[in-house]
Amino acid sequence: MYRILEKKELSMRNIWYKIEAPHVAKKVQPGQFVIVRAFPNGERIPLTPVMWDREEGWIVLITFIRGKTTMRMANELKPGDSILNIAGPLGNPAEMEKFGKILAIGAYTGIVEVYPIAKAWQELGNDVTTLHVTFEPMVVLKDELEKAVGRHVLETVPIDPNLDFPTNMKNVTKRLVEKVREMLEKENYDLVFMVGPAGDQKAVFEVVKEFGIPMKADLHPIMVDGTGMCGACRVTVGGEVKFACIDGPEFDAYQVDWDVLIARTGYYTDMEMRAFQEYMKLFEQAVQGGEQ
Amino acid sequence: MAVKRKLIKERVPTPERPAEERIRDFKEVNLGYTFELAVKEAERCLQCPANYAPCIKGCPVHIDIPGFIGKLVQYRDDPDKAVKEALQVIWACNSLPATTGRVCPQEDQCEMNCVMGKVGDKVNIGKLERFVADYAREKGIDEELLFEMVPKIEKKGQKVAIIGAGPAGLTAAGELAKLGYDVTIYEALHEPGGVLMYGIPEFRLPKSIVKSEIDKLRKLGVKILTDHIVGKTVTIEELLEEYDAVFIGSGAGTPRLINAPGINLNGIYTANEFLTRVNLMKAYLFPEYDTPVKVGKRVIVIGAGNTAMDAARSARRFGAEVIIAYRRGEEDVSAREEEVEHAKEEGIKFEYFINPVEFIGDENGNVKAVKFEKMKPLEERDSRGKRKIVGTGEYVTIEADTVIIAIGKHPNRLIINTPGLKVERGRIVVDENLMTSIPGVFAGGDAIRGEATVILAMGDGRRAAKAIHEYLTKKRNENA
Ligand SMILES: Cc1cc2nc3c(=O)[nH]c(=O)nc-3n(C[C@H](O)[C@H](O)[C@H](O)COP(=O)(O)OP(=O)(O)OC[C@H]3O[C@@H](n4cnc5c(N)ncnc54)[C@H](O)[C@@H]3O)c2cc1C
Ligand SMILES: Cc1cc2nc3c(=O)[nH]c(=O)nc-3n(C[C@H](O)[C@H](O)[C@H](O)COP(=O)(O)OP(=O)(O)OC[C@H]3O[C@@H](n4cnc5c(N)ncnc54)[C@H](O)[C@@H]3O)c2cc1C
Ligand code: SF4
Ligand code: FES
Repeated sequence: MYRILEKKELSMRNIWYKIEAPHVAKKVQPGQFVIVRAFPNGERIPLTPVMWDREEGWIVLITFIRGKTTMRMANELKPGDSILNIAGPLGNPAEMEKFGKILAIGAYTGIVEVYPIAKAWQELGNDVTTLHVTFEPMVVLKDELEKAVGRHVLETVPIDPNLDFPTNMKNVTKRLVEKVREMLEKENYDLVFMVGPAGDQKAVFEVVKEFGIPMKADLHPIMVDGTGMCGACRVTVGGEVKFACIDGPEFDAYQVDWDVLIARTGYYTDMEMRAFQEYMKLFEQAVQGGEQ
Repeated sequence: MAVKRKLIKERVPTPERPAEERIRDFKEVNLGYTFELAVKEAERCLQCPANYAPCIKGCPVHIDIPGFIGKLVQYRDDPDKAVKEALQVIWACNSLPATTGRVCPQEDQCEMNCVMGKVGDKVNIGKLERFVADYAREKGIDEELLFEMVPKIEKKGQKVAIIGAGPAGLTAAGELAKLGYDVTIYEALHEPGGVLMYGIPEFRLPKSIVKSEIDKLRKLGVKILTDHIVGKTVTIEELLEEYDAVFIGSGAGTPRLINAPGINLNGIYTANEFLTRVNLMKAYLFPEYDTPVKVGKRVIVIGAGNTAMDAARSARRFGAEVIIAYRRGEEDVSAREEEVEHAKEEGIKFEYFINPVEFIGDENGNVKAVKFEKMKPLEERDSRGKRKIVGTGEYVTIEADTVIIAIGKHPNRLIINTPGLKVERGRIVVDENLMTSIPGVFAGGDAIRGEATVILAMGDGRRAAKAIHEYLTKKRNENA
């Protein structure tokens, strides 16, 4: 049981949890993640420690409210409550080398996973530019990134209330691709790194490929155990089957079979929707405050 | 002893739920003996002398089988006393009898040797063991025994770390705690139990029973740290700084995949993923439980071991038509007889001598069929005594919307990558005392054997506990 020390809403649908988890805080490196189970009948979901204090034994998780589990955490957990299980740290740390000039991209809440890696790269002597593309009301970690890296670029897209969410998301993808192209045309980068939805990672990769710049991506397949014993997280990389939880989550974007990843990530969408809707029936009033 | 020596040839049957009823839920299939039935079955045992009894030799942990069976007959007028005495005999060698009584392949072990087999049915040793454990748990007799045992334990003042809370680790932990060591188990998942929790389904081994057997270990003083992944949260090197000895019981959890096109299509599960979702995460109760699982109209399970049977029978309980596809023949099936019988009763079909060569998907990346090559057996046999097989060059395609791969597993990579730990063919190498290449670090169970059985893992746990006790006694004496 891991006690929640702080909880706050950073921006629309983005929730900050500071949690006592000394076993993770002591060991975690940028690029690693944890598996969280918050409720007795709950599922195991992967999340990323964004900040930590090894001595004080806490980590910070920032969740984007996406479906039932993240919504339920936001609705039902209060400071002083405990999270049942936090397993980790898991996955391989990001490679810590002097790459030179780096463009580190975060789409939506992906930027929270970019933060610890970009910060460490900068501290190591790299010249890091972070790019955050998201909806206007969903900006997070702006001040922290401005302090941590050489340059932080924020691109926001308004939410058009007349369009549905998927259509709005297409506008983010469009802006993302345009902005990356513009930046790569203007300056020379030695490495591009990205965290975000697989479809957006693929779209950005297509642009980066034109410039021939090395690119790494943190992959987000579905995970269950996170320790290499189930293969739910398998991805095709360089023609081989890899388990993202123990071989990744970071991979060479040029080697990833993006279409397989995209198809696999969407496999449970209908069931996730059902779980979400049944939960929301119970929490209708709470929703009207949170959702637009 | 008031044991009657008249021969009763036929086994007293245990009641089972009918197939049509049980395929609609995940409740236990076999209902076990009542005290009266257990005594009747116990009376069939000839009480062969302990130094001769072939059943004892067949049991990998050498439970005094006539000893515990005899107690049921001797105290037939006092069921509580009968069970308490019987449990005490079993516990001397086996700390998880409710589990082993259910999942051991008794037909290949204790029961294989039973002399009653020469004149009639073999004694139903497994179900008797299970009866003793279940009755004791229901009446709190096990708690009573523990309560008597715990104060007698003399503390040794030395600490042992156990990696993995499967049958190997749990057994080693229990034995060491009884010897007075301060024991901590490091378990990667959120529930201890290993395959007993995430692999073997509820309808064969109810999870409440596994939990209660584990709670007994906690009462012996064993500490269990879940969510701790050795190799990530803490390394073996670090454990050696804090503990006097380490036991690795991390199992063989990494699934093997088939190297064929289309393996990453949606709807293709490893048996581990499928069973973990269903058993550990209770996906059969979705959306009451949050974890989803998708079982289509037709399911193909590839493989024919225990894991394949469990996956097939689980899928059947979602209402699917299920086919087990095996590259060898019926006589090569490695799953337990009882499970194959149950699977057939439940309407699962078996296709032999077909080997998958390609998984065929639709435009959304979902699997829709499997292409198999037809195989044929040769006269020649392999190292395990099975007939070798070759492809015929003929193919057959079977449609399916879910495919479950159950062709075996490798030991966990996070552990076997430990520097200085000698590993051969993915298995941890140990000496005759189960000590690894790192002094003070012992190992057992599937981590050293590859996929084996619950009782072999428990046997290793016991042997390792003894070896650790000797090792630490020497260490104590040196420091004294
Ligand atoms: C290694 C790794 C690290 C991760 N780290 C983080 C992290 O630090 N923070 C974090 O928030 N997440 C992180 N994730 C993702 C996180 O695991 C998922 O957000 C989480 O599992 C969602 O669970 P859920 O039950 O709330 O939603 P789900 O049950 O997964 O449901 C999601 C639902 O929302 C829909 N949906 C999908 N994408 C979107 C979208 N972009 N916007 C709106 N709706 C959508 C789906 O169709 C589905 O119905 C990480 C994932 C991985 C693999
Ligand atoms: C579906 C299925 C059905 C089976 N049916 C039968 C049966 O009917 N009868 C029978 O006798 N046998 C059966 N078996 C085999 C039997 O379950 C195994 O042989 C036995 O469980 C091995 O025990 P173990 O303790 O070595 O490993 P496991 O039971 O595999 O336990 C290992 C534990 O270690 C943990 N772990 C792994 N890596 C780490 C790490 N790095 N840090 C911390 N913890 C870690 C795992 O999470 C797990 O809890 C079956 C197996 C399966 C998969
Ligand atoms: S071999 Fe059979 S008859 Fe003899 S003691 Fe064992 S169980 Fe009883
Ligand atoms: S999540 Fe199970 S193997 Fe990676």
